[in-house]
Amino acid sequence: MKSRIHLLFKLLLLCLLLGLTHTARAQGKPNPNAAPNEFVQQVADQVLTALKADSGVRAGNAARVNQLVDDLILPNIDFEKTTRLAAGRNWRQATPEQQAALVKAFRGTLARAYSGAFTRVDEATTIKVLPFRGDAEATDVVVKSQVTQRANTQPIGLDYRLEKTPQGWKIYDLNVENIWLIENYRNQFSQQISQSGIDGLIQALNQRAQQ
Amino acid sequence: MRSRFFTQQFGLALCAAALVMLSGCATHPPGPANPADPLEASNRAVFEFNDGLDRAVFKPAAQAYAFVVPQPIRTCINNIFLNAGEVWSWFNSTLQGRQVDALNTFGRFLFNSTMGLGGCLDVASQTGAERIPNDFGVTLGVWGLDSGPYVVLPIIGSATLRDGAGRVVDLYVNQVGYGSLIHNVDVRNSIYGFEVIERREALLGVTNTIDRTALDRYSFIRDAYLKRRKAQVDGAMAEAEKLPSYEDFGAEPADAQALGLTPKK
Repeated sequence: MKSRIHLLFKLLLLCLLLGLTHTARAQGKPNPNAAPNEFVQQVADQVLTALKADSGVRAGNAARVNQLVDDLILPNIDFEKTTRLAAGRNWRQATPEQQAALVKAFRGTLARAYSGAFTRVDEATTIKVLPFRGDAEATDVVVKSQVTQRANTQPIGLDYRLEKTPQGWKIYDLNVENIWLIENYRNQFSQQISQSGIDGLIQALNQRAQQ
Repeated sequence: MRSRFFTQQFGLALCAAALVMLSGCATHPPGPANPADPLEASNRAVFEFNDGLDRAVFKPAAQAYAFVVPQPIRTCINNIFLNAGEVWSWFNSTLQGRQVDALNTFGRFLFNSTMGLGGCLDVASQTGAERIPNDFGVTLGVWGLDSGPYVVLPIIGSATLRDGAGRVVDLYVNQVGYGSLIHNVDVRNSIYGFEVIERREALLGVTNTIDRTALDRYSFIRDAYLKRRKAQVDGAMAEAEKLPSYEDFGAEPADAQALGLTPKK
């Protein structure tokens, strides 16, 4: 009898917890202290909901795309880390001003990549975050997801690399179909730096923005 | 003796002239040498050639196709081509010892060809059985062949020595294999031409993003290609190793016995 009540109590607690997480998710504000896969799902849901509601972003309106990247994506990304890792050993040779300018210029590249992806979003687009397979205690993790762009098409593999910071999880690298963003940009950066230095790299990134 | 010396000299001069010409074509100054890309100078020249051809012919054709034909129909046609390629993927999974993947691919092909109306609807993906792409380059990699240097082939594009050879086999099997089913030459060639435009259209999104974000498109595409191919081969090898293969000491080696290699008891 006692164990039965105990079980009932446990079930009740479980329902309550599930209900709580459900309401937290419905509100749409990502919780960086949740499990990494839940956090990524929340970020993805929030961005997708915003995209589906905003035809200006989908049409590639630069101001709207920037707004959305600033409001919904960048707060969840450690973009300084992304840039730092992409710059590799060259990062230390840069002055703090150059570092800041590089982060800003690379952010523009990221926004352009996103704006291209956003134009292909429609009502049928879904992002399914796969169950987290890594170590629950790890502070550097990979979360896998599958993006289905349109009805009747194959999903594309999109993985996120996250780091646990004092403020909770932050995304710092992306993998599209087995290609890591930072890894691919490392060579782009070093190639440009060897040709024209760090200022040349900043200039090249900014130039691409005007094209 | 003398003539041999001259042939050698002439050959060297010809090589040097070709190299100068090729490197002259490359507009981007090459960056730090990549050990996987020793042929960078000539690769860049072919890359520029392909790019010019793409801008003049393939990309506009693909854009026109995308403009005229509605998205659901384009998706359907893309799925039909992908579905037709599944037979060859199945065969490659089998060659690589990936029995589970092979079975899944074959099941997908049967299901999509029938319930999916000849592959138009990817009904198998909706039931959770996603496409497992495979090709002969991956098979050669699983068999232990190194990728060799990176090469940019005219029209075909990014490849390595191994994957380029694999690509030739892939194209031969798919084009000639299916082509032999279509007897009318005009119809067959029209379908080949259409397939090229259709494939280019499916890549428009990717190439637009690369145009917008890469600092040096040549090395961006090269690095991405090499990473992706390596991941495909590594993944295929891991997949093949997933199931342990057991030596069954209880069973009589039937083949050997039939051939008369082992004495019958």
